[in-house]
Amino acid sequence: MKELNRRDFIKTTTATSAGVVTIASGITLTTYAARPKESDPVTNEKRWGMLIDTNKLTESNIDDMVNACQEEHGWGNETHSTGDQKAGWIKKVKVKDKATERISNLALMCQHCEEPPCVDVCPTNASMKREDGIVLVDRHLCIGCRYCMMACPYDARSFVHETLTDQKTHMPRGKGTVEACTMCVHKVDKGEAPACVASVNSDAVVFGDLYDPTSKINQTLKKVQSTQIRADLNLNTGVRYSGI
Amino acid sequence: MSRLLIVFLSVMLSSVVAQADHHIPNLGEKATEFKDEGKEAHKRDGMSHAASLILQRKMHPELLSHKRDKTLRQGVRGGVIQLNKCVECHTSVDKNGEFIPVNAPDQFCSTCHKKVGTSLDCFSCHRTTPAEEM
Ligand code: HEC
Ligand code: HEC
Ligand code: HEC
Repeated sequence: MKELNRRDFIKTTTATSAGVVTIASGITLTTYAARPKESDPVTNEKRWGMLIDTNKLTESNIDDMVNACQEEHGWGNETHSTGDQKAGWIKKVKVKDKATERISNLALMCQHCEEPPCVDVCPTNASMKREDGIVLVDRHLCIGCRYCMMACPYDARSFVHETLTDQKTHMPRGKGTVEACTMCVHKVDKGEAPACVASVNSDAVVFGDLYDPTSKINQTLKKVQSTQIRADLNLNTGVRYSGI
Repeated sequence: MSRLLIVFLSVMLSSVVAQADHHIPNLGEKATEFKDEGKEAHKRDGMSHAASLILQRKMHPELLSHKRDKTLRQGVRGGVIQLNKCVECHTSVDKNGEFIPVNAPDQFCSTCHKKVGTSLDCFSCHRTTPAEEM
């Protein structure tokens, strides 16, 4: 029932970018126009991105984001992995301005670069970027060499060190392969927001199509001062930050 | 042309033989239900049910890897070829009503694979029982 409504809604609003449907008073469901049909390939007419406002993002928001990601993808319960063997698709990072000692907290995950170093170094083409800008590991091709983990300036990828069972249906994961934030591609493809974005109920995190002039993220980026982490590397990240 | 025909005929023949001599022990909970309701599983347009099943038997590795690439590389989702759909239909339940992992030795996929001497590495990552949140 809800499914149908959402689909119909997406079909009729593909021209615009995002909309808010009121289901019942007080409950809203934001949808993002993925594409008319899930059987159509994604195209480079869109580029998915995220804007994180560190002034508005509280520490508990970040914890919620991390929890939502773990819950969605089923990582974090590895029992045999220790220290930096542990999976970390999204992390809480503190940054301190050396001059002013000002501390900001931010959520750091795969930045979904336009020029991803992880893709450049992958010997099997497992590290890949979809047309719509989402950077993924095709684990069917991953041989576990971990070059991509070394190449990533954001330390965003992790390696599965142990045999796993009871994975989520929509998120197969297994020993010997590299994994990272998928920008919840399985949700985005259905017109839904990534789990971490949905877990924050303020506008501290905005998700959407960077190219679409009617999208909230595009409009906000035009208005506010924002940065890319390690902008000096010219990777043109899909995840942007403001307030740092 | 005639060479092609011969190849085609021998393929057909070998599949008839294969069909005659194999017996599938446990289709799985939902698949059995499906069949008992008289529904034609894996039926393709413009093809008889029997031919569709032969196609499914012979081509499922190709169908799955094609779909896998489509999903990962192009974001193409839905449709009948999805690994979790296979799991949904072809898993059985034990005496206590618990799902038996689809990759267990005496289950639908494994029985046949054992016979033909192939082994899969899909279920080290893919969930082996139907979705938890159903
Ligand atoms: C190392 C982990 C891993 C292994 C092993 C693996 N997969 Fe996958 N598979 C994935 C991931 C991750 C996805 C992407 C899921 C998504 O984006 O929704 C996926 C997606 C798929 C899809 C598309 C989604 C669907 O269900 O239709 C298919 C088909 C698929 N895999 C088939 C296979 C087959 C067949 C094998 C065994 C030959 C296999 N996979 C082995 C990790 C794995
Ligand atoms: C809707 C439930 C359903 C789904 C989903 C399903 N199957 Fe089946 N499958 C069946 C049924 C029922 C049969 C038996 C058909 C018959 O004998 O009439 C069958 C038969 C088969 C056969 C044997 C054909 C033969 O006669 O030798 C293979 C192989 C097979 N399925 C593979 C798969 C694979 C691989 C997938 C996932 C891509 C899958 N099935 C998904 C219901 C399903
Ligand atoms: C009727 C017998 C039969 C059944 C039942 C069957 N398979 Fe297969 N499968 C085969 C054969 C034969 C091959 C090997 C084909 C080849 O080597 O070209 C194979 C190969 C595969 C492969 C490719 C393996 C590889 O690594 O190349 C996958 C994936 C696969 N099967 C998945 C399944 C799944 C999932 C099921 C259960 C839903 C299933 N099969 C049920 C006969 C079967």
